[in-house]
Amino acid sequence: MKNISIIIFLVTIFSTSLFAGGPWPQKKGKGYFKLAEWWVIFDQHYTDNGKIDPNVTSGIFNTTLYAEYGFTDRLTGIINAPIFSRNYNNNLVSNTTKEILVPGEAYNGIGDFDLGLKYGITQPGAKIPVALTLTLGLPTGKSVAGELQNLQTGDGEFNQLLQVDAGTGFKLGKTSAYVSAYTGVNNRTKGFSDEFRFGLEAGVGLANEKFWLTARLLGVESFKNGDTAETTTSTSIFANNSEFTSIGVEGSYYITKKVGVSVSATGAFRGEIIAAAPSYSVGVFLDLSK
Amino acid sequence: MKNLNLPFLILLLGAMLFNGCIKDDFIDDQIDPVLRFTSSLDTIEIDTEFQLEAMFLNNVGQEESPTLTWNSLDAEILSVDGTGLLRANSVGTTTISVSYETEEGILLSDQMDITVGATTIISIEEKSGTIRTTSSYTLEGTFTVQEIDGNLIIEVGEAWKASSNLPGLFIYLTNNPATTTDALEIGPVQVFNGAHRYEIPNVGINDWQYLLYFCKPFNIKVGDGEINN
Repeated sequence: MKNISIIIFLVTIFSTSLFAGGPWPQKKGKGYFKLAEWWVIFDQHYTDNGKIDPNVTSGIFNTTLYAEYGFTDRLTGIINAPIFSRNYNNNLVSNTTKEILVPGEAYNGIGDFDLGLKYGITQPGAKIPVALTLTLGLPTGKSVAGELQNLQTGDGEFNQLLQVDAGTGFKLGKTSAYVSAYTGVNNRTKGFSDEFRFGLEAGVGLANEKFWLTARLLGVESFKNGDTAETTTSTSIFANNSEFTSIGVEGSYYITKKVGVSVSATGAFRGEIIAAAPSYSVGVFLDLSK
Repeated sequence: MKNLNLPFLILLLGAMLFNGCIKDDFIDDQIDPVLRFTSSLDTIEIDTEFQLEAMFLNNVGQEESPTLTWNSLDAEILSVDGTGLLRANSVGTTTISVSYETEEGILLSDQMDITVGATTIISIEEKSGTIRTTSSYTLEGTFTVQEIDGNLIIEVGEAWKASSNLPGLFIYLTNNPATTTDALEIGPVQVFNGAHRYEIPNVGINDWQYLLYFCKPFNIKVGDGEINN
């Protein structure tokens, strides 16, 4: 019997998307490191026909270490590690008797780690750099937890995302700016549908590049070629074919030349089988790339 | 690295504040109290006894066992005592009723016509209903319910259609269509198109009032179907 679990609200995708990276590999021996807290709390979700339905309030919190390190000028290693992940559901309480009908639950553990390699297809310093990135999604989190087996810190499957990034930096007057885009295919296992992913990102460096403001449009479209509750042989709780298009903004402020803090918010404005609520992140970073 | 201390502290404090807050979600689960017979009896053999059963459900559909008032319209044909024990005295047909006045002063009652004859005949009932979605997920169909040899048989018709993208769709029997509390879980839905059947042992046809379709992982109702006479 397949060990298929719920993968409902694309926690990994949302949280990973905070670190899009762009087509710029790190220089050899340089790096970028970030410790961030990411969370989403939602009491409604997009259904399979794109409408919004309520659900018991759930929260997911990930404390994540993210790192990029340049092995060479064109090859960068990337790790995105949710070292602490918490998923909880609220109590369900009778409005008539005020009794708890279904007790809330919480599970704490680690999330699914991502390991990636980014290779600069173009020479360093190219006007329009292009990079190829392979990301391996490791099922290090817990896919089924809690008495009702409805909590999770991972999707329980191994996946491989191959993506191409391209972009360019330029000046808006005296202000530095950049735009980048990516597209990729995520091959998923254990009955989950494969995905087409895309993203657009634009950023400007303000206050002598001490403050970077970034906007992102991200999308995941399911190929809908995996199992559903109807076709799987498992009796486990199973959801598949999640997809969304989201927008997000992030502000990063350099406290010193290398150390800074960041704040971001992301929300899906359309989706299927995904949370209909914004996610947020705060973090501190160490930028050794300069 | 001194500059890292404050942001780290803020981050840790934020994580601690956010990581631990299971709160309450309230659902409106109030329904009208109900009193109904759970026994099915068409004819009782003369000079025998039969124990009638009735069920009182409070304003959240929970069964309670208050003292019920039993009455026979014609005690010369059928007499009934304070526990619902029938005594068949003479041939004929009369009406047996059960009633209860709630603490809020609501008078509830149910009644049925019973014949006294040569042999005891338990009436075989078939009930039916329509399944409807109460969400954005597809859920539609019709069903019939029968009690055979003490087991409840639910036959869902050919027109049944449900979304298979919904995580954890389960079916229940309940007396309160808003909640699975005190409901009987039949199991996960495994047929999403067309006719299928459930057989639930040791369940009477009058024990439950609704089919309930529930998304179990997210504790949210998806649809229901009232079991009608």
